[in-house]
Amino acid sequence: MRCSWAESGGSVGEPPAGPAPGAFARAWAKALSGTSYLPMTHAQLEALLQRLTDQLAEALRTEPLDLRAGHRVASELVAAHIASAEALGRTVEVIQLRLVRDLDLVADDTADRMARLLAAIATGYARALRDRTLDEQEAIRRATLTARADAERALRASEARFRHQATHDPLTDLPNRTLFAERLAAVLDGSTSGVHRVGLCFLDIDRFKRINDSYGHQIGDRALVAAAHRLSRAVEPHLVARLGGDAFVILVERSTGTGDVLAVAESALAALAEPVLVGGHDCTVTASVGIVERRVADTSPDDLMRAAGSTLHWAKTAGGAGWAMYDAERDEREQARQALSAAIPGGLERGEFYLDYQPLTSLQDGSVLGVEALVRWRHPQLGVLSPDSFIGLAEETGLIVPLGAWVLAEACREAVGWSTATGEPPYVSVNLAVRQLRRPGLVQEVRSLLRRTGLPPNRLQLEITESMMMGGAEEPVRTLRALADLGVRIAIDDFGTGYSNLAYLRDLPVTELKVAGEFVRGLRAPEAADERILASLVSLAHALDLTVTAEGVETVGQAERLRAIGCDAGQGWHFGRPAPADHILARIR
Amino acid sequence: MQRPDWAPETIDVERPSVARMYDYYLGGSHNFAVDRAAAQAMVAAVPEAPLMAQANRAFLRRAVQFLTNAGIRQFLDIGSGIPTVGNVHEIAQRHAPDSRVVYVDVDPVAVAHSREILAGTEGATVVQEDLRHPERILAHPDVRANLDFSQPVAVLVVAVLHFVGDHDRPAEVLRTLRAALAPGSHLVLSQASDDGRSDAERAEAQKVYQRTDSPLWVRSRAELTAFFDGFELVDPGVVWVPQWRPETPDSAEDAERAVFLGGVGRLGG
Repeated sequence: MRCSWAESGGSVGEPPAGPAPGAFARAWAKALSGTSYLPMTHAQLEALLQRLTDQLAEALRTEPLDLRAGHRVASELVAAHIASAEALGRTVEVIQLRLVRDLDLVADDTADRMARLLAAIATGYARALRDRTLDEQEAIRRATLTARADAERALRASEARFRHQATHDPLTDLPNRTLFAERLAAVLDGSTSGVHRVGLCFLDIDRFKRINDSYGHQIGDRALVAAAHRLSRAVEPHLVARLGGDAFVILVERSTGTGDVLAVAESALAALAEPVLVGGHDCTVTASVGIVERRVADTSPDDLMRAAGSTLHWAKTAGGAGWAMYDAERDEREQARQALSAAIPGGLERGEFYLDYQPLTSLQDGSVLGVEALVRWRHPQLGVLSPDSFIGLAEETGLIVPLGAWVLAEACREAVGWSTATGEPPYVSVNLAVRQLRRPGLVQEVRSLLRRTGLPPNRLQLEITESMMMGGAEEPVRTLRALADLGVRIAIDDFGTGYSNLAYLRDLPVTELKVAGEFVRGLRAPEAADERILASLVSLAHALDLTVTAEGVETVGQAERLRAIGCDAGQGWHFGRPAPADHILARIR
Repeated sequence: MQRPDWAPETIDVERPSVARMYDYYLGGSHNFAVDRAAAQAMVAAVPEAPLMAQANRAFLRRAVQFLTNAGIRQFLDIGSGIPTVGNVHEIAQRHAPDSRVVYVDVDPVAVAHSREILAGTEGATVVQEDLRHPERILAHPDVRANLDFSQPVAVLVVAVLHFVGDHDRPAEVLRTLRAALAPGSHLVLSQASDDGRSDAERAEAQKVYQRTDSPLWVRSRAELTAFFDGFELVDPGVVWVPQWRPETPDSAEDAERAVFLGGVGRLGG
């Protein structure tokens, strides 16, 4: 019985049902007041007690005495929350003192019947109270267990939720880098049984930024979610994780060979290639995938991810919308390049770079007009490296800026000490990279270099390539003018192989053209096209007041022809290989 | 790993619970030895404690009857405690069966018990929340589902405000609740007061409740009256609870022994 919430009779605001309470019921109600909380009005209490009084009177009058009436009255009292020890005491007292008198129930055996009735009331009351107590104790214990179970369930749920949040990407709800790393580590440390080979597809959506830029990030995010869902459906049951941005990775456990992983990559690419509309915009994308597949025993998570990253890069540089398969040799080559590039700053610091010079020789009188500075790297492990093996890298990484600055400074420092027995010492010609030219402060750098070393400006020549003038940017042109204003010579390197726009020859403060060696190589055959081109170039240059130096002159025959054409100077093995400055100066003296 | 802020508390039945102590004062058996020990210590300090609880419970009954007579059909009973004799939905639904009651308590055991008792009961539900976070109560989906705040609601904050310390800004809590109510809504407040108490009694009572899950903050009549800011106090204002619309004149005698001050306010407009 739910005693504590039981209805307690009577209605709010309505007169209590039943006959008006008599003197006894009123006395009883007064005796009970204050014994415990009674969830009813005083009138309701009196009405209840009048009903119970009637039952007691009926029992006392009836032969034989029905003791169950006493039990019933007691139960009703307890059920109506008149359920305290004090209430029982007062009830026994008031019945004993007043019931017989107030209701005029005197008979021969009244004392005897009253004693038995009171005993029945006390017994029934104690029994009902005990049951109620036990019920309530049970209820509160049950509530405690329920509350505890609820709390534990909620804790587990929140832990699970927390775990989910910690291991999933909030945008796409795909596993995140953390979960992917856990799974990959589990596969590779052998704790996932039966896995001998593993594959990764490192996937990146091509030019995804364009969607964000064209339609806004909201559409971009929705497109990403759509892509993520298609991706995970397409490659089920393999784990797809979002690594951030538009990069995903698919973990192929239990691979039996590259074919398995390739199939997964192709499914992924096919799923992504399907047309997608987001908010009315065409958000169809393509993707690039780098595929790596290996024996579990031969790899580590870092290794695998690095290889997958490199392979993805190959797929990207191949134009995207496709996959690339890992190639160990290619990777090794690239890694070696990478390592070499990373070693440049240290090499600069430790003084591992030095300069050789190659003479630029006058075709008229054989004198050395200038020398071209050529950087060398005395690599501690790899020996002396020529510029071909590291200048490209340095240009990619931007390390060309500090390296180029060092070359420029070193060339000026050495050149200022050169002297010759007769005439002017040779000028020094230094290559200038695009990044150097585009960087603000070059003019200032050259100016202070000249001041510091004391090298006369006309003994410094800066070689730029035609490609630097492409795009018509104003800034490099202004820089070149400022450099020319300092009195520095400007030469166009490798002229004739690239842009060869004649307009800038008119506008730029150029002093010399260096004609690419491939024209010179063609001079072996008489009256060849190359010779006519060279002749035209020379007359064009002279018309513009420029001198011409031919590169790659290897034979006396070539030198002769060039001189005949009117070319001013030559550079190449015929005139001298690159060598330390001392050697060249010794020859001049 | 940091524990997330939505992780629930554990259930500690080794500490006395004010909800179960209150049940004990009212003569119930929904309590454990630790609750009874604390309640008995309270009675030793303040012998009227059971009387206080009874008087407060009777005040709640009269207030709900008053509100149903005033046409209120929605009740938000915050700090409802252990469901015991004479709960709000019983009182209200006896007169108006369409009355809806949402009980709110912070005690998970009280809530679990309420939930079991209320299973299958129309128009009454319970949510576990803390009076100190009224915005969470107001936003709770079960509260929203059962109460229509465009219609008058009676908010009952009965015998619970003395567990909200000043640092928890009870006035602000009540302001937040008030802001959610439609004109014609009511606020029922009662709380323990130390008006007219000796210092020794105050200290003793404080000591008992420091051991429970909710220490006691007694307040003066002026403070309680100030909590009705924005409401029009219904006659007779803030009084000792037995004096609030008593059924018989003598039941209001020795009213200050009840320790609880109470009142009902109406939101005009």
